[in-house]
Amino acid sequence: MVDAQTITDNERWAGVYKLLDRNSLIHPEFEPQEEIKEFIQNCKILVIGAGGLGCEILKNLALSGFCDIHVIDMDTIDVSNLNRQFLFRRADVGKPKAVTAAAFINKRVQGVTVTPHYCKIQDKDEDFYSEFALVICGLDSIEARRWMNATLVGMRDEDNPDSLKPLIDGGTEGFKGQARVILPGITSCYECSMDMLSKPTGFPLCTIANTPRLPEHCIEWASVLEWPNKHGERKMDTDDPKDIQWLYETALARAKQYNIQGVTYSLTQGVVKNIIPAIAATNAIIAASCCNEALKIATTCAKNLNNYMMYSGNDSVYTYTFEHQRKDDCPVCSNSATKLEFKGDKTLEDLMDYLKEKPDVQLKKPSFAVGGKPLYMQAPKQLEEAMRPNLQKPLNELFSSGDELTVTDSTLPFSLQVVLTFI
Amino acid sequence: MDAKTQKYDRQLRLWGNGGQQALESAHILLINASAVGCEILKNLVLPGIGQFTVIDQGRVTQSDIGSNFFLDADSLGKSRAERAAELLGELNEDVSGHWVAKDILSALTENPTFLSQFSMVIATDISRQTAEKVSSLCWTNQHAIPFVWVKTVGLLGTARIVLPEHVIVETHPDNVADIRIDTPFPELANYAKSFDFNTQDTLEFGHIPYVAILLKYMDEWKQAHDGKIPTTYAEKNQLKANIRSGMRSGDDENFDEAINSVLRSCQPTVVPSAIKALFADPKCDNLTAESSNFWILTRAVRDFVSDHGKSAGLLPLSGTIPDMKAQTDSYVTLQSIYKTKAKQDVQEVSKLVDAILESLGRASGSIAPEEIETFCKYSAFLKVIRYRSLEDEYTQPKTKQIASWLSEEDSLLTQYVLLRASDSFFDDHGRYPGEGDDWEEDVDHLHANVATLLQSWGVDTDVISKDLTHEICRFGRGAIHNIASFMGGVASQEVIKLITHQYTPMDNTFIFDGARSVSGVFSV
Repeated sequence: MVDAQTITDNERWAGVYKLLDRNSLIHPEFEPQEEIKEFIQNCKILVIGAGGLGCEILKNLALSGFCDIHVIDMDTIDVSNLNRQFLFRRADVGKPKAVTAAAFINKRVQGVTVTPHYCKIQDKDEDFYSEFALVICGLDSIEARRWMNATLVGMRDEDNPDSLKPLIDGGTEGFKGQARVILPGITSCYECSMDMLSKPTGFPLCTIANTPRLPEHCIEWASVLEWPNKHGERKMDTDDPKDIQWLYETALARAKQYNIQGVTYSLTQGVVKNIIPAIAATNAIIAASCCNEALKIATTCAKNLNNYMMYSGNDSVYTYTFEHQRKDDCPVCSNSATKLEFKGDKTLEDLMDYLKEKPDVQLKKPSFAVGGKPLYMQAPKQLEEAMRPNLQKPLNELFSSGDELTVTDSTLPFSLQVVLTFI
Repeated sequence: MDAKTQKYDRQLRLWGNGGQQALESAHILLINASAVGCEILKNLVLPGIGQFTVIDQGRVTQSDIGSNFFLDADSLGKSRAERAAELLGELNEDVSGHWVAKDILSALTENPTFLSQFSMVIATDISRQTAEKVSSLCWTNQHAIPFVWVKTVGLLGTARIVLPEHVIVETHPDNVADIRIDTPFPELANYAKSFDFNTQDTLEFGHIPYVAILLKYMDEWKQAHDGKIPTTYAEKNQLKANIRSGMRSGDDENFDEAINSVLRSCQPTVVPSAIKALFADPKCDNLTAESSNFWILTRAVRDFVSDHGKSAGLLPLSGTIPDMKAQTDSYVTLQSIYKTKAKQDVQEVSKLVDAILESLGRASGSIAPEEIETFCKYSAFLKVIRYRSLEDEYTQPKTKQIASWLSEEDSLLTQYVLLRASDSFFDDHGRYPGEGDDWEEDVDHLHANVATLLQSWGVDTDVISKDLTHEICRFGRGAIHNIASFMGGVASQEVIKLITHQYTPMDNTFIFDGARSVSGVFSV
């Protein structure tokens, strides 16, 4: 075991130091300074997620010279992770991802300390997040990204430069992915681009119930209609092979009844768990892009991405880099209210359903208030029951056209201000 | 689900068991356990390639462990090949790793057939001369071996594929539906006529499949227009209007589906020109006993298409149709009509395949039925890529194309020129520009190399600013892990495409500029 002292930073980080010690005529504003090297060594950097992207990000940051890295992940390791989450081995299945990943990096790379947090991002508060210089996200859910984005944007105070926490966000799916740089309050944020998301595929209930044609319809029938029929209150556990087996056999029986081919165990799993194909290569590309940006932002050795790079690898290799524009009425990073037109005779429940579906809003359990007065609150229980009748009332009985509604949702740390005009 | 299927589930959904088997039969050679080389191999070991060999004569240094995750503090002073092979091998117990502590050129001197045991050669940290030699041996090997050359220089990365010919059947196009509204085969036309458009049953009317609706209105159109389908924009709109007039309620989804499919359905079903080009290819014309299955199958499909009695001059039916608003049994029946015709086409093609095999002195049935079936299903999307050799790239430059690329603003081809010039610098000085502390002194030399190269192509030497040359010297050929990892992802993905023969690889040079976060592919 070689003594850490005998490893000198100048030799180890020779490649990076060439960038940091040498001036550039392409980036003339860059000034080589020793403080930059100290900054990388001493700053705290946060990684969200220790999965496909997270493992790559941790490796990349450690080998860029960052010494104080924190990682949050609430999940444990599954066998299906092993084809790409390379900090985990078969013997680690069942253990927390954050803890295992941190231990591996700490052992492999001299001088770095990765501190794991085996919890949800929502379990940490603003005090925690404000300790970091940079946040890099390798998340797999829209909800988590929105929460992280809103939290960091919400923390930003124009009068306090330290409150600006650059957020670098990466995502992958099969051969495709994207990396983006969000400077809260300055560039477009994650919420600004919600309308870029494609609508999740769903099948109409009448097709599933009455006229199935595809194997997927049979699987949806088994999981959405037949499961509650046969299991009552017991919720389906999509991680339990026994439950998947039940769904598979039930779907297969229905398919046979209708002469439909194609129901397999693999398809069943894919449909009910909404499995997204994933490989090491794409995760490597997006994570590397994110960490490349992190190094540039932390050192100013070159200009950083402004602000979005899309990647596609199924047909040749293709990237598209562009500046995503801020949304004027973004509920997170702008001060303007969203303007909405809606039929005044529709009910509050109709409005609620509309806001749940709308791609750039996508609320789960919204609560409504107007002029400080609550109209419908999801919690506490007594209040919800008392206000439930309001759901069936037409909007024009509850408030006037042009009033500003405050819409909140427990999954999001921000409120949506909506100026609603009746049509 | 067995343990291996469980582990590989997420990737099997992309390339299936066929692709996985191809990976597990591969033996990949990595030349030099560089940072980028090990990152490439990481992304191949994890998905379960059969075997790999790392060849590298070097010993592990401190700058190695600063940029390479698969060399650690314990490895200092030891064989780079040995340690990298060990740390890469432990990523996946299903993979066999080997190592050779030699320089590739020495290995080839000792054993000129060293390369023939490998199904893929990935080269990193080699000079242009070595690349030319190794890629040439790969090219002329009895079975040509794909050669992938990957470089990282500071914030730049580049990858080059060299291979005489790469064929792809499963390109995974977005839409494989082959509905043939313009030329319905008899069974399809008859089935469509069986739907009662005058039915008073709303449920029944609302579930007439859009294919039947389109065929009815298309048929009426043809009768009124001399047997022709709509060709102009106005005509297509008229057909849409005709269909709309048949709707009973505003909610008839099936009629909406028909209207939305008019434009696509008015594109005549033909043999795509890319496929016609394959039919005309000498390798399709001149079959020998050594011909690959791909060309034998291409010829069989060509013969099928020529027999208008069997094919109506079209490629085999793919048999795939999209979902549509319909009762279960009418959809299942419609689906099976397409599948049955597709099967018939496959049977006809199979007979032709056997006839060709016999004429070549090969056993009939020596091409598996599944292979023939897959080939027929994707016959409209076949691809053949013929890569240029390095020799051609260097001795027969595409000067017009290069000048055109360089004339574009912020062209990435500039980076290509700078990296080529760096190779010339190495030929002159035995080292790369900017490697030493007096790095700025190399700028003039490197820029002279740039000028020579541009002049040889007849391109104005002003096209590349000296500031860019200065930046290459600034990089000093330093290995930066993020760039090594990025290129590791790209190159490994292309290697997977080449091994599985699925999805389309790039042709032939990929360049990534990590300063601007942009990339491009050039066929140099």
